[in-house]
Amino acid sequence: MKIEHKIILSNAFNVALIVLIGLFAFQNLNLILTKLRFVEIADDLNASLLEMRLSEKNYFLYKDDTVLFDTKDKIDKTLQSIERVRKDIIRAVGENNLRQLITRLKRYSEVIENVRKSGNKNAQLENMLRTEGKKLKEFSEEITRLERVRVNEIIANSKRVLFYSFWAILLSAMIVSHFISQKILRSLRMIEKLTKSISEGNFHKIEGIKSRDELGSVINAINSMSEELSHREEQIIQSKKLASIGVLTAGVAHELTNPLNNISMIAQTYEELYDKLSREERIDFMSKVQGETERMKEIIKNLLDFSRPKEPDLKKADINATIQKTLKLMQNSLDVSNIETKLNLKDGLPQVLIDEHQIQQVFVNLITNAAQAMSGGGMLFIGSRNGSSSGFVEVTVADTGKGIPPEFLPHIFDPFFSTKGDGGTGLGLSVSYGIIKNHKGDIRVESKVGVGTTFTIELPVYKEEG
Amino acid sequence: MSKYRIMVIDDEKIVGDMAKMSLEQEGYAVETFLNAEPALARLKEERFDVVVTDYKMKGIDGMEVLRTVKGLYPETKVIMITAFANLDTAIEALRGDVHDFFPKPVKIKELKASIQRALSK
Repeated sequence: MKIEHKIILSNAFNVALIVLIGLFAFQNLNLILTKLRFVEIADDLNASLLEMRLSEKNYFLYKDDTVLFDTKDKIDKTLQSIERVRKDIIRAVGENNLRQLITRLKRYSEVIENVRKSGNKNAQLENMLRTEGKKLKEFSEEITRLERVRVNEIIANSKRVLFYSFWAILLSAMIVSHFISQKILRSLRMIEKLTKSISEGNFHKIEGIKSRDELGSVINAINSMSEELSHREEQIIQSKKLASIGVLTAGVAHELTNPLNNISMIAQTYEELYDKLSREERIDFMSKVQGETERMKEIIKNLLDFSRPKEPDLKKADINATIQKTLKLMQNSLDVSNIETKLNLKDGLPQVLIDEHQIQQVFVNLITNAAQAMSGGGMLFIGSRNGSSSGFVEVTVADTGKGIPPEFLPHIFDPFFSTKGDGGTGLGLSVSYGIIKNHKGDIRVESKVGVGTTFTIELPVYKEEG
Repeated sequence: MSKYRIMVIDDEKIVGDMAKMSLEQEGYAVETFLNAEPALARLKEERFDVVVTDYKMKGIDGMEVLRTVKGLYPETKVIMITAFANLDTAIEALRGDVHDFFPKPVKIKELKASIQRALSK
């Protein structure tokens, strides 16, 4: 369910609760009003009854017949007024009580009528009149009292219900908003992590997170952005390559001119001094020519690798074994350069999916660079570990060399960029960069002048089919 | 009469070696350097008649060698060789009173002729 829907649902739930409680309170209020209206009516009734009883007493005291007429009149008026507010009374005390009340009133009225007709000498009738009057008064007072009790009960009940429902709504709102904000925060944290990794240049697709809420849509958006960015990066690399054709031409010219000049000068000197040269000197001259042609061949090979990077032939391999193999190849030159190697290879790393030959070439380039940065000897650290992003293995090649000035760092993967003057073609790192990118990996550099340089390579882990 | 003294500065070792062998045949005293710092230090000790220097070198480059030499010994001739032959560097070198300017690959015979001209003036 989407977060938006959850919020709407929880809000709807709370609103429904509030409406329900409002209805309850409204109904209670109505009931109280009805009851109060009845109590009002009942008070009037009681007052009338009290008057009737007073008249009754007067009759007994003065035996005045006219009083009975008055009383009869009052009863009729009371009956009429009861009839007017009949509905209110029924609502308050029910039809049964009303009927009883009317019956009692009528009976009282009949008794009065009988007393009047008998000419006030019948003691039994008089007694009946007294009893009926008393009963009527008691009944009326009783239902009034009961109604007052009911009103109090309803008020107390409403108070209780309103009190509990207030806490219920508060609690539900708090719990729901807590859960929803937790979920939103979790999603935001995840998105933050993802975007951070993208800003570091990892354009890997995010997989394994399946979410149908907004997080899912954001991940989809990030994925397509990643894809687009990596696509654009390729385009930029491609256009950089095109832009570097100019640099390339100048670079090739310069790089090739030096060995060409050397061969030319050897040839000219050889020709000129042929008769004076010893056999050994002649052989030395020719081997120098060989050396210079080798140098040219190397430049041309790098150039080809750069302009036409071979598709990697990816196979699963143990990265530590590849590092060891490369080191074996380079051990001699490292020893000669007085460089001590420290290995920190993690055991049990997952296998990587690489073209071992190409990755070896990258290591050779990095180690050669490190060695050249440490002309007076130094330490070479090579380490392997699990990558910072899952699905990758990380290899670092660090030296204690002279370091790269910060203004050069952004260019060190550019073709023909070299800080080594005569020492390099400026293609090694750019070729390495191309190889690592073809592996869908990553290569980064950190450097501090006078402290050393660290290259970090991330290579994808081999995954079983399916 | 003492030999003419010639200094060759080039970070390609073969250039120095070949020039030295070839020029020594002509009876010159030749000293070679792979970069400019020790060469300039040596120049401060002693005057050379001709300095042949590469244009593009790590650290101190050929143009600075030219200026330093001209500052120390205005009469010493400087011949510049370069793998980067372009008009700008040539003009800059001429303004710095370079004697001659050779693009690589260098013809040794032409270099020798140029040195001879420099010494006969």
